Amino acid sequence: MRKLTSLQKSRHHLTTAIILVIFCFPLYWAIINSIKMPLETFAGSWVPFLQFKPTLVNWAKELGDQSTRRALANSTIVSLCSTGIVLFIGTLAAFSLAVFKFEKLKNQDIIIWFLSQRVMPPVIFIVPFFLLMRSFKLIDSLYALILVNVTFVLPFAVIIMREIFRGIPQELTDAALVDGASYWQIFRKVALPLATGGLVATGIICLAIVWNEFIFALSLSYDRAVVMPVVIAGSEHTRGVEFWYVGVRVLLTMSLPVVVALFAQRYIVKGLTLGAVKG
Amino acid sequence: MKRQQIKFVFLLPAVIWVLAFTIFPLAYAIRLSFFSYHLGRGETFVGGRNFVQAFTYPRFWGSIRITFSIVLIAVVLEIVLGLLFAWHFNREMRGDKVFRALITLPLFATPVAVGYLGITLFYETSGPINMFLSFFHIHIPWLSHPFWAKISIILLDTWIWTPFCFLVFLSGFRAISEEIYEAAYLDTNSELQIFRYISLPLLLPILGIVIALRLVEGLKIFDLPYTLLLGGPGTSTEVYPLLVYRTALKNFDFGSASALSLVLLGIVMSIVIIFFKQLRRVYE
Repeated sequence: MRKLTSLQKSRHHLTTAIILVIFCFPLYWAIINSIKMPLETFAGSWVPFLQFKPTLVNWAKELGDQSTRRALANSTIVSLCSTGIVLFIGTLAAFSLAVFKFEKLKNQDIIIWFLSQRVMPPVIFIVPFFLLMRSFKLIDSLYALILVNVTFVLPFAVIIMREIFRGIPQELTDAALVDGASYWQIFRKVALPLATGGLVATGIICLAIVWNEFIFALSLSYDRAVVMPVVIAGSEHTRGVEFWYVGVRVLLTMSLPVVVALFAQRYIVKGLTLGAVKG
Repeated sequence: MKRQQIKFVFLLPAVIWVLAFTIFPLAYAIRLSFFSYHLGRGETFVGGRNFVQAFTYPRFWGSIRITFSIVLIAVVLEIVLGLLFAWHFNREMRGDKVFRALITLPLFATPVAVGYLGITLFYETSGPINMFLSFFHIHIPWLSHPFWAKISIILLDTWIWTPFCFLVFLSGFRAISEEIYEAAYLDTNSELQIFRYISLPLLLPILGIVIALRLVEGLKIFDLPYTLLLGGPGTSTEVYPLLVYRTALKNFDFGSASALSLVLLGIVMSIVIIFFKQLRRVYE
């Protein structure tokens, strides 16, 4: 790249600033709304302290709310359990696909099959899942949500983790084999330690996907097993759109995946393109 | 080698799990699509009537049109903006790392929450967007006019997914070697020409993947229209998945909903098949 003149440089920074302001504004607006008194949210004031006095009343009220707290707990349980299961089963499969050669069905075909699962619109599964869960008496239970989430996140984890395991040089596994290590030992002692970073990142992305999942949560739970996205979606119908609570809820729901994303920057590209693009 | 048999032990749990919870539900959905099945009433075999009904139902064609217009426009916007941003941030500049991290935040924001945020942003009388536009004496009925409601959804979708395209394109640009640029700059000074004749052609394979992924992911759109306007005003933002959801869990007409689901599956599969060759090459 060529060196830039100072005029070009300042133009660059100006463009950056404009992009940033536009892209961060919605988040700013959510924060602002969450610290306004109800009346002020409709007045459309933009700057705290100058135009209105910020307050934490909404936060206190929302966090004190029993159903919100339960939804937060549910969301946490479902995300953590699903991610745990996905990582356990997924890394094993990914390791297997990265290290071994399958003959009858080629590795490539198995990968494409996993990929095709990821491509399916979840909505085509809501009817069969709803009816199946109903006959197993699992409607409105966290088990159902975990089961469904694992099914749809697992293919994603397998594909990314395989990419990560493939980055481990074959000489290492070969050397371990010569030393008499079993494949299980190679997995535990060679592959896993080398893939820790990728494993954590995959886990983080899975966590965010499960946390944000909406359509199954909406169709498979109505009371005890309700998670955060469903709580937000339901607020309009019971109380009308209360902008000040929307701000709080939106932030409560978004904060986990968003904060988590900041830590996983490096792996996001690889993860989100299912390994198709080196990040 | 006998020891290699362990590969099946490693692989099978994942395969069995995914197979069990996708193939059986799918088979069940296929069976249901040939039955008339309402909750509380039994099921009766009706042959292909559910499909015929779907294709002759005005809301079916309406939602297909709505879904494709929203998805196609959003994908084009996301890709163009993503390319521009990537081109812009391709130069190493101080502080850009932080900006880049900030720009990727929408990608992880809960879509349902974004929908609700959208209600406050597009709020017509004193929402921030209309307040800003009022400086130019423009008033846009974002949420009450069928056309602008679609635009609102497109804008929110673009907000979420542009960062994705941006990140992928940026890593694509970074993968192009410096020497190619240096050689090119000997011949021309025009940034535009470099972009047009060097960067863009080299980015083409990645562009294909991104378009395929975004189209397929786009067809899953549900959270935004559901939370923003519940498909309204009227049925002007009733995207296809929302139609399926309503048929299934509001009208409890499981037969028709299954038929509708399978039509969507057919559409998605044909997109995948178009891009299949390219995908297969990438994953070898």
